[in-house]
Amino acid sequence: MDKNGSYLVTAPKQEKGTPMADTQIATINFKEEALRLLPEGASFEACLTCGLCSSGCPASGIENMDPRKFIRMAELGMDVELSTTPWVWCCTQCKRCHHVCPMNIDISQLVFLARSNWPEDKKPSGIVRSCQMILATDSTSAMGLPPADFVFVVDDVLQEVRATQPAFQHLQAPMDKQGAHFFVNQNSREPMSEPDEMVPLWKIFHLVGADWTYSSKGWAAENFCMFSGNETAWYEVIKKRVDAVNELGCQVWLNTECGHSYYTMWQGVKRFNLTANFRLESLITYYARWIREGKLPVNSKWNTKGIKFTVQDPCMIVRKAYGDAIAEDMRFVTRALVGEENFIDMQPNRSANYCCGGGGGFLQAGMTEHRRTYGKRKFDQIAATGAAYVLTPCHNCHSQMEDIGHFYGGNYGVVHFWTLICLSLGILGDNERTYLGPDLLELLD
Amino acid sequence: MKEETRNFTTQLAIIGSGIAGFAASIFAVNRKIATAQIGNTGAVAYTTGYLDLLGKMDGAQAAVNDPWQALEQLRKSQSNHPLSRVAVADIHRGFNEFTAFLGECGIAYSQPEKRNITALTPVGTLKQTLCVPATMAAGPRAFAAKKPCVIIDFIGLKGFSGRQVVANLQDRWPNLGTQRIAFPDMVHGEIYPEVMARALEVPATREKLAYTLKNAAGQAKVIGLPAILGMHCPDHVRAELERLTGLEIFEIPTMPPSVPGIRLRELFEQVLPKKGVTLIPQQKVTALDFDDRGATLSLFDSYGPIRIQAQTVILATGRFLSGGLEAHPDGIREHLLDLPVTQPADRTHWYHDRYTDPRGHAIHRAGIEIDDTFRPLRLDGRPYSDRLFAAGIIIAHQDWIRGRSGAGIAIATAFRAVAEAERYLLAETNPEKRV
Repeated sequence: MDKNGSYLVTAPKQEKGTPMADTQIATINFKEEALRLLPEGASFEACLTCGLCSSGCPASGIENMDPRKFIRMAELGMDVELSTTPWVWCCTQCKRCHHVCPMNIDISQLVFLARSNWPEDKKPSGIVRSCQMILATDSTSAMGLPPADFVFVVDDVLQEVRATQPAFQHLQAPMDKQGAHFFVNQNSREPMSEPDEMVPLWKIFHLVGADWTYSSKGWAAENFCMFSGNETAWYEVIKKRVDAVNELGCQVWLNTECGHSYYTMWQGVKRFNLTANFRLESLITYYARWIREGKLPVNSKWNTKGIKFTVQDPCMIVRKAYGDAIAEDMRFVTRALVGEENFIDMQPNRSANYCCGGGGGFLQAGMTEHRRTYGKRKFDQIAATGAAYVLTPCHNCHSQMEDIGHFYGGNYGVVHFWTLICLSLGILGDNERTYLGPDLLELLD
Repeated sequence: MKEETRNFTTQLAIIGSGIAGFAASIFAVNRKIATAQIGNTGAVAYTTGYLDLLGKMDGAQAAVNDPWQALEQLRKSQSNHPLSRVAVADIHRGFNEFTAFLGECGIAYSQPEKRNITALTPVGTLKQTLCVPATMAAGPRAFAAKKPCVIIDFIGLKGFSGRQVVANLQDRWPNLGTQRIAFPDMVHGEIYPEVMARALEVPATREKLAYTLKNAAGQAKVIGLPAILGMHCPDHVRAELERLTGLEIFEIPTMPPSVPGIRLRELFEQVLPKKGVTLIPQQKVTALDFDDRGATLSLFDSYGPIRIQAQTVILATGRFLSGGLEAHPDGIREHLLDLPVTQPADRTHWYHDRYTDPRGHAIHRAGIEIDDTFRPLRLDGRPYSDRLFAAGIIIAHQDWIRGRSGAGIAIATAFRAVAEAERYLLAETNPEKRV
């Protein structure tokens, strides 16, 4: 330890990324910080050490740490160990420990604090780089796609659909439309890597007659600055996005199929006391509403082979934000799409669901072995359903469940809701079927 | 960005999510009463899964074999005990209704019989209980018949030791042995019953474990496992393992965090909303106000403020662990309405010097007072509100731990509180029937 109370530590093992310098991590007084961070009446000293948190945490055991141990070590003043444990990058801050704790103890706040305390060059480089990319352009895209390129890709794909799919020759993908009702965000993965995946969403908006727009600024969904523990950067991202929505005068910021984008925006607006002249809403809620109103006349008649589906509840929009109400909407939409008898719920589910291990920046952290260990519980959940497909409105969940499925020898696919909605409606284009397995493709032929 | 308050209206609001709160929801659902239930994660996750009615009488050396007869004695010796304020027939009905509901929803239980069951504890001691989950039922039977049996424990599982169970039972169960085995595909040092239970819902894991269990059983035809036989379909998991091994298998509860309690909590949280209950788990009611038209409950969840308008309310907030009562330097207070709490005169009388003092501790009998219709009382003896009822261990004059009567008090008082709430609702709907 040096005279400033800092320790030299080794950075977490990463498979990729730039070499780390031996910089220092300052020591946090966790007990003191807990008093500052926790709401009045809450206390880590109230911990009964019952272990419900650790029992229900997929990160338990990784790096020889678990939530209960974290609290006990904080109570014992083991601040050096906690300040430097790489486990804070394996905890996805999913808040399941908080959810099951009889004493209502929230450990994720201390994990965020610990993350923010790491020097930038010690943090997992994948998360830091993604944050830097977000800050680099007005798009706020973690993949660094500039506004002009986003505008070009959207228009290019739109023109192709109009030319090749006669039923959609009048399809719209408005850009920077002043006063549109919905300001629609988009995960960068689509325009950057799989642009055809944007089309099913546009078709859905087209069918329901939605008044919507993309924005050339602040359109991207992802926010790794929050995961990196960089509060200043988190603020900058959210400020840029809020300004973009305010400038266009939209009434609703509509979060598409991306989990953490909603949480970071919603929490960011509150945390930084930003003026948002609009509502924050989830596309899932609107899917359910449009189906109930008959605007999306989906049905399950296409599922003639009784293909089974389950649903993954993203922590960021269910447990950490809307609660079970949106989980019910997800199930309503799923049942309408695949048939009541073909829906099998994961156990546990809704607010009690396990994080998949793709959240919190884990997918970008380069800690693959740990991430897959974490994901084993999700794999078991999916395997227990026997479902052929998992539906989820979250890109991180999507990628993680695909990866652990391959790694542990699973035999399931992962699909977006927009894909299945368009499949059900018979309007899924040839290029929009990336995530369909042979069983579903066969039904389309 | 404006936070909008979400508003709900209901006939009955139940505050609390322990066994009493959930039992009240079940009874209300069965009576077609529109119900909302709110409560922070209760101690329900700590339960063994056994449903005790009455296992020990104060001052008696022996455990209670016939709980129904013991209830009659209790009525004479402790007329203000909550179990003495519920008719025995109603207690029986309550247990029947509660266990039948659990069975219909996926966790089979034994029905209440005339006598208590001698059941195994996590450390191999014995206790008296009224109803046990079907996954545990073969244990007491095997013990009673002294069948050759092997208790299995697992490498890395803390809080359950086959050696300890055998050491405590060997004098009374001569053919009892133990084996320690590895659980399939568990890579970390410490493993938890919850994780094992969920893994056993995967057929491939069951097949791997069955292979190991067959070898560990040796000549025995009966094996006892810590409670890990699945989380949401335990009877199926047990049946499958029995089919794969050809053995009779039973569960023994483990120390918290234990699977039987989590099973119950997840069952309640999934089933009750499907049956129409507005369930807001994991949250505490921050304010409860009454006026001529009803009660207003205020609370917050992750998303923002919630307000519930209810015609009647059942207070089932538990005691200290669940936050229904709070211990302060100047005394014990009821958290939500500041109801008067019957309690020792001062802190020096809360506990005897020795924790294991056979007389028990006065603080464990603290609680609120109720009238004959289960309405909490003010200091002057009047009901706090005609719309407010109480259930569970927040009610004074009982020491449920010493009496082995936790589930009994919860179920019996919930049964009565719902009956009284229903009576009030009927009278409000039809004023001419008001008593």
